[in-house]
Amino acid sequence: MSNQKKRNFQIEAFKHRVVVDPKYADKTWQILERAIHQIYNQDASGLSFEELYRNAYNMVLHKFGEKLYTGFIVTMTAHLKEKSKLIEAAQGGSFLEELNKKWNEHNKALEMIRDILMYMDRTYIESTKKTHVHPMGFSLWRDNVVHFTKIHTRLLNTLLDLVQKERTGEVIDRGLMRSVIKMFMDLGESVYQEDFEKPFLDASSEFYKVESQEFIESCDCGDYLKKAEKRLTEEIDRVAHYLDPKSEEKITSVVEKEMIANHMQRLVHMENSGLVYMLLHDKYEDLGRMYNLFRRVTNGLLTVRDVMTSHLREMGKQLVTDPEKSKDPVEFVQRLLDERDKYDKVISTAFGNDKTFQNALNSSFEHFINLNARSPEFISLFVDDKLRKGLKGFVDVDVEVILDKVMMLFRYLQEKDVFEKYYKQHLAKRLLSGKTVSDDAERSLIVKLKTECGYQFTSKLEGMFTDMKTSEDTMRGFYGSHPELSEGPTLIVQVLTTGSWPTQPAVPCNLPAEVSVLCEKFRSYYLGTHTGRRLTWQTNMGTADIKALFGKGQKHELNVSTFQMCVLMLFNNADRLSYKEIEQATEIPASDLKRCLQSLACVKGKNVIKKEPMSKDIGEEDSFYVNEKFTSKFYKVKIGTVVAQKETEPEKQETRQRVEEDRKPQIEAAIVRIMKSRKILDHNNIIAEVTKQLQPRFLANPTEIKKRIESLIERDFLERDSTDRKLYRYLA
Amino acid sequence: MDRIDHLFKHYANRSSSHLIDPEGIEELCSNLEVPHTDVRILMLAWKMKAEKQGYFTLEEWRRALKAMRADTISKLKKALPELEKEVRRPSNFADFYVYAFRYCLTEEKQKSIDIETICQLLDIVLGSTFRAQVDYFVDYLKIQNDYKVINMDQWLGFYRFCNEISFPDMSNYNPELAWPLILDNFFEWMREKQA
Repeated sequence: MSNQKKRNFQIEAFKHRVVVDPKYADKTWQILERAIHQIYNQDASGLSFEELYRNAYNMVLHKFGEKLYTGFIVTMTAHLKEKSKLIEAAQGGSFLEELNKKWNEHNKALEMIRDILMYMDRTYIESTKKTHVHPMGFSLWRDNVVHFTKIHTRLLNTLLDLVQKERTGEVIDRGLMRSVIKMFMDLGESVYQEDFEKPFLDASSEFYKVESQEFIESCDCGDYLKKAEKRLTEEIDRVAHYLDPKSEEKITSVVEKEMIANHMQRLVHMENSGLVYMLLHDKYEDLGRMYNLFRRVTNGLLTVRDVMTSHLREMGKQLVTDPEKSKDPVEFVQRLLDERDKYDKVISTAFGNDKTFQNALNSSFEHFINLNARSPEFISLFVDDKLRKGLKGFVDVDVEVILDKVMMLFRYLQEKDVFEKYYKQHLAKRLLSGKTVSDDAERSLIVKLKTECGYQFTSKLEGMFTDMKTSEDTMRGFYGSHPELSEGPTLIVQVLTTGSWPTQPAVPCNLPAEVSVLCEKFRSYYLGTHTGRRLTWQTNMGTADIKALFGKGQKHELNVSTFQMCVLMLFNNADRLSYKEIEQATEIPASDLKRCLQSLACVKGKNVIKKEPMSKDIGEEDSFYVNEKFTSKFYKVKIGTVVAQKETEPEKQETRQRVEEDRKPQIEAAIVRIMKSRKILDHNNIIAEVTKQLQPRFLANPTEIKKRIESLIERDFLERDSTDRKLYRYLA
Repeated sequence: MDRIDHLFKHYANRSSSHLIDPEGIEELCSNLEVPHTDVRILMLAWKMKAEKQGYFTLEEWRRALKAMRADTISKLKKALPELEKEVRRPSNFADFYVYAFRYCLTEEKQKSIDIETICQLLDIVLGSTFRAQVDYFVDYLKIQNDYKVINMDQWLGFYRFCNEISFPDMSNYNPELAWPLILDNFFEWMREKQA
């Protein structure tokens, strides 16, 4: 056979030449039908899988797939109808059990049948696009059992009943629940949702609606929240044990809506137990619970935040506008710090440091601190108190903590320039009286202010420190070049650069001879090395230490102001002096002189001078003489008062006026800066830009800005546009 | 031309022959049968583009009379109504209004005019067209203390006010816009009165 041509081999399906015997199909089907019966009757042990499979295979092969398929459906349906009757007949608790049992049986049977009919599944059903065996088994169960009218509603009600029982505290068979509900899930998501989940959610909604109403009438806020939280936990637990995980979000939404969202306002505003009560009494646990529950619902946290904000603003407003509380500035500020600490703790402990709450806290404080126009002054006085004595003995770290807290309050101030003015005054007094507790603390605060406000804010303050340092050096140089002065009174001079220190009018006064000689020597020394400068003695700011010998031999060292020194030294040359004589000799202005004499003569324990008549006030007809009987248990007696104090009304007006005057050039500078870069700008925008630029220092008044604009127009820096009145133009 | 110059010399003959001085102007006014505080004299000055209040130069005199085609007093007198109409034309009036203010700045570097003079000037210049506004504003100027003088910006602001703002309701006035502050204050004062 070597001549055979090469041919392509073809593999063809092996075609059985079989007799298409209709009876063959029937017979085969009968075998299978019987097998299905046996499977359903739990009597499958005697069956041969191989044989049944082959029978099914053959039917499909010989084009009897449809008969097989239809037969399978009909048979299974019949069985299921029977089963549902049995289930329906079950009484009470066993209803569910029966159902569950039958379902399990059906599943087992279905699997076996599916295995037997595998070939049909893969070929006939595939090509005809009919429903596969397994899903069909489920559909049939669904249609014939679950949706069987006598079962459908009863099943649902039974399940819901059990849930209800569990909610009221009874123990139920969770395993059974799980099994039955899993059945729904297996039958398909839409079956689960339609036949169970949706009714379940509706029933739950009803349940919680009623329950929440009961609770809200009978519980206080804290208890109610505890209950709500408990219910929420229970539902999550329920889902974990016997529901589809996808239901968790849905059921928790129901609880959140019914128990929290619907009663939000009432809960938050509850008298004597709501949010305000909790805040006032530091109920961290309850607050934390409220936060965690409310954050689950829309606008929940917004509600809490709003109530907290209005409470803070109200509380703050009362605090700052209460005249009682304004009497002691240090107390005033301490109270503010305490309140801030308190709410800070609430936010960090109970509200998880939520930034939006932090912001609400800050904006509330900013709002009410500025309701009291004296806040800037008071904060400066608080700092003054701390830097004088309050921080004594504090460790560095603690000092930083207090200063940082003060900076926090400072940031809230709208009128930072007012604070600057007072701070400068108080700092000057501290430096000159040598009364600062810690140089490091002073410097540290200046650095913080510089970081916050920029270089211009603190440059003058730093100038003050520099002057103090330079003065020390100057003094060394002075005494170095005048060794003969080491005997006699010691003069310590602080040379202050005029621009850096708060302006004080120089008050005239006649210094005692010993002192004025020294002063002149110093003046010549200083001007010798600093030509072109002008020195003016600030006699109203100085102090003196005088050694005094009294009638009975008491020796004391008196620490007094310069004015007081001038007055006292007069008594070295006269036993008794009238007011007029003192006035003439010292040339101290009347109001200062009266204050000075008052502190020397009318203060218990410090009255080194006596006055006639012994009235409280200084009269122009009074006369004075040394109090020879003066005693004090201390050798050193301090009489001068150069301590920073809360300003009197007229002083306050004056300071306010100076601040207003200082603001004018700043406003103008801002206007010019803006116009220079923009060239043309309309009115509203100028106001907005200027306000924004000045905001770190103070809140600019639109009327004041307008005034400055008009002034600049008059001085030809700006002009109005000739066609559009709203526009301004920069004139180079 | 000669007659115009001749007329000039007639009024200028007192002190110096290159200027008509205030006395000369007074005589001119009585010849024209117009009170010398009348607005038409101011309008004449405007027509002349006269620079110094109370004085007319030859050049200025020539300028006006030539334009008005008047070389005798009676012709000049007859030309006055026409002049007034010309000035009151909207295109000219704004210019005249500005001129009126400048004309009263007598000192070098002066930028503002005292309240009393302003009140008179307002009356002369705007009295016939905006009687009510002028009267109320003048009242206000006299009692307020914020401003002792008025500058050009404020002067112009008032004219715009009269033209744009309905009076006396002032319902379309907004103090938050760019109106000069003095008008904001006037507005507040009016509101208080109306309340």
